[in-house]
Amino acid sequence: MSRVGTSRCSRPGGARGLLVLTLLAAAGLAGACGRSGPPAPSSEQVYRFRLHEDPPTLDPALANDEFSESVVLNVNRGLVVLDPKTLEIQPAVAESWTVSPDGLVYTFRLRDGVLFHNGRPVTARDVEYSFERLLRKATGSPRRFLLAPIAGAKEFTAGTSASIAGLAAPDDRTIVLRLAKPFAPFLSELTMANASILPREIYDDSRKAYLRAPVGCGPFRFSRWEQANFIELLAFDRYYGGRPALDRVIIRMIENKTSALQEYIAGGLDSLDEPPDDNDTAMMAKVGPEVHRFPFMGTGYIGFNLALPPFKGNVALRKAFNYAVDKQYLWGVLFPGSSTPANGIIPPGIPGHDPDLPGYPHDEAKARNLLAQAGYPAGNGLPPISCWVNTGEDNRRIAEQVQSDLKKIGVDITIREVDWGAYIAAVSGSPEKPGQAPMFRSGWSLDYPDADAILRPLLHSSNWGPSGNFGRYKNAEVDRLIDQALVVTDPKERADLYRRAERIAVMDDPPWIFLNYYQARTLYKPYVKGVVLSPLGKFRLPLDRLRIERGST
Amino acid sequence: MLSLVPVLLAAATIVWIFVFLLPGDPARLMAGGQSVDPEILNSIRHEWGLDRPAPLQYLCYLEKLIRFDLGTSYVQRRPVVSIVAGSFPPTFILAFTALLLAAGAGLVLGSLAALQRGRLLDSFVLILALVGTSMPVFWLGMILMLLFASRLGWLPVLGYGMEGAFIPFTSVRLPEWDHLVLPALTLSLVSLGAIARITRASLIEAGTSEFLQTARAKGASRARVFVRHTLQNALIPVVTVIGMDFAGLLGGAVATEYVFAWPGLGKAIVRAIGLRDLPVVEGGVLFLTAVFVLVSLAVDLAYLYLDPRIQYAPSG
Repeated sequence: MSRVGTSRCSRPGGARGLLVLTLLAAAGLAGACGRSGPPAPSSEQVYRFRLHEDPPTLDPALANDEFSESVVLNVNRGLVVLDPKTLEIQPAVAESWTVSPDGLVYTFRLRDGVLFHNGRPVTARDVEYSFERLLRKATGSPRRFLLAPIAGAKEFTAGTSASIAGLAAPDDRTIVLRLAKPFAPFLSELTMANASILPREIYDDSRKAYLRAPVGCGPFRFSRWEQANFIELLAFDRYYGGRPALDRVIIRMIENKTSALQEYIAGGLDSLDEPPDDNDTAMMAKVGPEVHRFPFMGTGYIGFNLALPPFKGNVALRKAFNYAVDKQYLWGVLFPGSSTPANGIIPPGIPGHDPDLPGYPHDEAKARNLLAQAGYPAGNGLPPISCWVNTGEDNRRIAEQVQSDLKKIGVDITIREVDWGAYIAAVSGSPEKPGQAPMFRSGWSLDYPDADAILRPLLHSSNWGPSGNFGRYKNAEVDRLIDQALVVTDPKERADLYRRAERIAVMDDPPWIFLNYYQARTLYKPYVKGVVLSPLGKFRLPLDRLRIERGST
Repeated sequence: MLSLVPVLLAAATIVWIFVFLLPGDPARLMAGGQSVDPEILNSIRHEWGLDRPAPLQYLCYLEKLIRFDLGTSYVQRRPVVSIVAGSFPPTFILAFTALLLAAGAGLVLGSLAALQRGRLLDSFVLILALVGTSMPVFWLGMILMLLFASRLGWLPVLGYGMEGAFIPFTSVRLPEWDHLVLPALTLSLVSLGAIARITRASLIEAGTSEFLQTARAKGASRARVFVRHTLQNALIPVVTVIGMDFAGLLGGAVATEYVFAWPGLGKAIVRAIGLRDLPVVEGGVLFLTAVFVLVSLAVDLAYLYLDPRIQYAPSG
């Protein structure tokens, strides 16, 4: 285990330090506040966007959230990359690849002339190093499972093998990955930020300087990071894909949504991830035309705890709850434009999405009948039910609307609002023990466009507990179909298997109240061109495609 | 100074207990996301010692503190000391500027109110003080932002700025001055009322003292009587309030930091609580405690200057 930092670091505090700081602050504020940098040339292309807070990390191996990914994906590149528009897998550091007919061996040919930001060419040894680093236990990556399908990966992580049996670099431009068994979404997993190719000389650093000064081979190079203030990226002149049009990117940390909107209106931001509510007519009159709406790969739901009564083994009760909720009102009136009502699990645009799935349209009469069939006529006899939500105005309002809909069929639920840390502990439980929340409001966005990325973590019985299946759903046929789809290579056949699994989970044995397919809403100034409204979400924005055209609207 | 040690030890223990009792699993949040491999979760717990019994975790924490090691952030994986060192200067600068504004305006307004006791100006100051003290900082900050930045465009909406000068020989960058105005003004209004009121009350009380009659009888001018005798004697409670307010502003600037996207320590601690980044919470609160104690000490030392009758006897 290695830790950063030693006790030799300067310690702030102490009376003298305080005094010095006081005097310097006073003196500095009075006289030393001149701009230290030269004014930006007017032709410089600068793009400024907002994150709510500092990315937890810029180390690709550790990145596991959208804020980190928004930076990491623009500083780094992996072997392959997802086209943000078409969602097809495109070459990146690898210029081409082949897959053996049995789906077990992936051979990548690396592109010539790919450079790290320190000027060194990328070779197959760097791919080898980066994958080993991701899998090494000491790295502490929460996403080392992405490379787990490679033969020998688990033994390497466990420390029982010094190398990864299925990873080879026969020459400087060839990488061969051999899987233990076929794994259809493997290439998709290699598009994740965690599989970025990294220079050993930077990342083999016991002081871990790379945490604050990462180096990659992506279109932008890291320039500076002021804690809780901003991150600055600069165009990488020798990027293999050609120098980006933007010269500079400023990522500003602004937590408060209202303040951020004011800053956007004042011209301090070129885009904003949280536009005003559609119902806020005054604000929408100002910025309405700059709001872009687009679907992104995510599904919202209210989960049932299937390990505890009253939902355990009671399909009729779960169906009654589904029919009771008016999704048209939720997404058409209460939150217009933020989502579309969901009929199922797999969101539109993902292979396997079933537009003909009936789902549960709002029907109070049916809900009452099913409630009676479930053994709780008019809600009589139901134990106390609480619906847990994590802190957030929208979460609370959604839960309150569901509470109100359920009240109409005679069901009383209470809402328990707690912060994320307490929520996830109460909801997820452990593989051995269910969580304590009877119902919980949740949502899932897919890491890559493959139905496996939602069905497996959320519904497969091997993922009970923190792995994602919080409600402890178990359906043997659903498990079988998900497993079968993993080893099938024909895309059409795979999509069909997922459709069948979803139909069973939705119509026969619902684990959730199916609420919504997410829509992203983002503000862009009219002079920002090349915007890709990607189903990958608003933070996985390919900055190398953007340009600023101030003269245009 | 030695009294600092038991205070900090008690603060460290209390903070550790509260932080330990927070619901939620830090390892779960370190792993991030909603889907975490239980094996990875266990290895994170082991790596950070979260699988050890609570008393052992506490002893490890204390052992590090003795070595002036505040630990390593679970989330950022860098020393807490560097996180505190990065976020304290902005908070200090904000609180200090706010205090200068509050103390300056509070002393002037309080003095004017005392001199004009019972008149219109006195009532105006008292109402202003009451309003300033009662106003929620969050709301006030938004109003000032909307007026002076969004509507009038005189000042930046938010932020610390990117181009302020560095304090020589440090990595501490000063804010751009125009970015400082609105947050400092917002924060100052919290203290201004209290300082104005205590100044007024102290001056009125000091104004009835017999030594003033003596000074006047000896022929001292009105101005000298006010500045040299009345004001100086009235300053002791005012300095106490200013000292306590400064310490309070350092810890209580979080709402202002939130509204104006100010990269301060309060915001860093609140964020760390949300992420269950326990070492940052513990280190940040402990650091603020130390600052609070030091400010109290500075206030006590200021009494020596303000009132020569006060002397601190050596203990024992």
